[in-house]
Amino acid sequence: MSAAAPPAAAGPALRVTGLTVAYGGLPAVDNVSLQVRHGQVVVLIGETSSGKSSLALAVARLLPAAAAVGGLVEIAGTDLAALGAKQARRQRASLVGYIAQDAMAALNPVLPVGRQLAEMFTVHAGVSRAAAAERAVGELARVRIDRPRQVARAYPHQLSGGMRQRVMIAMAMALSPPLLIADEPTTALDVSTQAEILALVGGLQAETGAGVLWITHDMGVVAELADWVAVMYAGRLVEQGPVQEVFDHPLHPYTEGLLRTRRDLRAGRPGEPLYQIAGSPPGLTARQGGCGFAPRCSRRTGVCDTTAPDLRPAEAAAGSSGGPSPRSDTAGRLAACHHPLSDDSAKTAVTV
Amino acid sequence: MARTMIRRLGFGVIAVLGVAVLSFLLEFVIPGDPARAIAPRAQSAAVLRNITIQLHLNRPLIIQFLDYFGQLFRGNLGTSYVQRQSVTSLIGPRLATTGELALAGVIAEVILGGGLGIVAALYPRVRAAVSAVNLTLLALPQFVVGLLLLLIFGFKLHLAPVTGGAGPAEIVLPALTLGLVGAPWYAQIVADQMGDSLASAYVRTAVAKGLPDRYILWRHVLRNVLSPAITMIGMDLGAYLSGVVTVEVVFGWPGIGLLAVDSLQDLDRPVVMGTVIVGAVAVVFFNLVADVLRMYVDPRTREEQA
Repeated sequence: MSAAAPPAAAGPALRVTGLTVAYGGLPAVDNVSLQVRHGQVVVLIGETSSGKSSLALAVARLLPAAAAVGGLVEIAGTDLAALGAKQARRQRASLVGYIAQDAMAALNPVLPVGRQLAEMFTVHAGVSRAAAAERAVGELARVRIDRPRQVARAYPHQLSGGMRQRVMIAMAMALSPPLLIADEPTTALDVSTQAEILALVGGLQAETGAGVLWITHDMGVVAELADWVAVMYAGRLVEQGPVQEVFDHPLHPYTEGLLRTRRDLRAGRPGEPLYQIAGSPPGLTARQGGCGFAPRCSRRTGVCDTTAPDLRPAEAAAGSSGGPSPRSDTAGRLAACHHPLSDDSAKTAVTV
Repeated sequence: MARTMIRRLGFGVIAVLGVAVLSFLLEFVIPGDPARAIAPRAQSAAVLRNITIQLHLNRPLIIQFLDYFGQLFRGNLGTSYVQRQSVTSLIGPRLATTGELALAGVIAEVILGGGLGIVAALYPRVRAAVSAVNLTLLALPQFVVGLLLLLIFGFKLHLAPVTGGAGPAEIVLPALTLGLVGAPWYAQIVADQMGDSLASAYVRTAVAKGLPDRYILWRHVLRNVLSPAITMIGMDLGAYLSGVVTVEVVFGWPGIGLLAVDSLQDLDRPVVMGTVIVGAVAVVFFNLVADVLRMYVDPRTREEQA
């Protein structure tokens, strides 16, 4: 069942270079570069309006026409934007599977879920309706749905939230694309269903060797699922690296703040105030020059207000790093901060 | 689902009875003496008295009421005061004639309105133009549209008959009138529903699945527009069958509406009652049919009412 990942020569599952998404001239995503290797789970974390969903939609080429997209998105070496509309449509589902946040809204309410799955095969594989229906049942079984034959005949509103999300996942993976994009697919689910979905995607991903770009605002998901974490703030990537590295030695004050809120949530005693990052992220219209996080940052100096920091390699950002980390994978470890936390100042870091 | 239907049917029967009782009582509020209407030149009081007794109009209201509804429950709509034949035999052919017009009218408004709505939803540039057309049609009364069509296509261009009557050539203009007047409602609801559907997450999913645009339109979008359109078709069919009075009068279309107007002028109470009851039954029936069809196209409505 496991589809072999395309040869490495085709390029990584996803390579995003200098991606910019603007709505009416206001950038929601600002010059973001990112990579997802085959078999790798990259979790992109950020608050509401950080631009993470715009990034996900831009990668899947699902943004409305009103959004201006710049930069390069290559999925397994293919740039969908460079293809003609027809070619792009034909190839997109075999290149990238998109798992939406709200499966109830993302499934057509008046069609049985089996048919919504089967149409992937009638349209793309050109098989008969009966054969496609049979394959759809197989796909439902693959996402561990009991009695798939019965579920295939059900309408979305007759299924539980977890089941609907499984159907979405089955649809996204139907053509075994090298890249999956999951846009906060567990947000609307209860905690135990959330865990099931995470385990399911983790399992399927390991089985198929697909790269996964998982969007979330939940640090717990990062810890659960990620190989690599990218932190987004006000439309920019502010930090990225292997998940253990980032958790142990956050470089950006924003990342550190996120980790502290998580630590407080997990270990805080009743009655003790939870840590909060002061202020709130800037809206699209409130962004000016300088570091987007500066107004909320305790390490802010004059330069933060005038110059936006570039994403730089960890060594350059943190000065001398304190010896090799357990994973010692500091390649691609980047942070965008004028005053990154060095090891000694990162004592508040969290171990997972 | 069956239980829902039975309950709806029960409500329908109550509605029809309510309408019948109300219109029965209203007949007696209308000033005028049916006997005088029947025999306008019979000056003799004795003749009038005779007619009144023959029609049982001398009996107390409550007796007349019980008498009428007793007959109604046996399926008897009574006998026309004027035509001296059973109301059922009078209404039957008229109902068929109006049925033809109602059906043709609904087809016309679905095509015109649906077309306008789809165009408005798919091409944002013409949306303003479609709105203007909608507004103009909404503002025009039915009889104005009818007379305009009659003037242009009948009297000026001689493309359509102007003499009235029912037939394949005669049906075109009245059906078009119904279509033009009804179209804006369909255009609005289709444009709104399609706009919602096109902007929906499930259409985005369909795009992500790499489905062709036309396939998405037919399989995913229009299926979601069907449900409200069916409700409206059911309402219109019922309403038109209960008599498209204005259009029938303008075009001389010998339907149930024309019959109702004539018998109202003649104070022919049994016939008026008959047209009202048949109309009420038509409204209830077609709304019921629309509900059933809606359950078929939209699975969500199946459980909602259960």
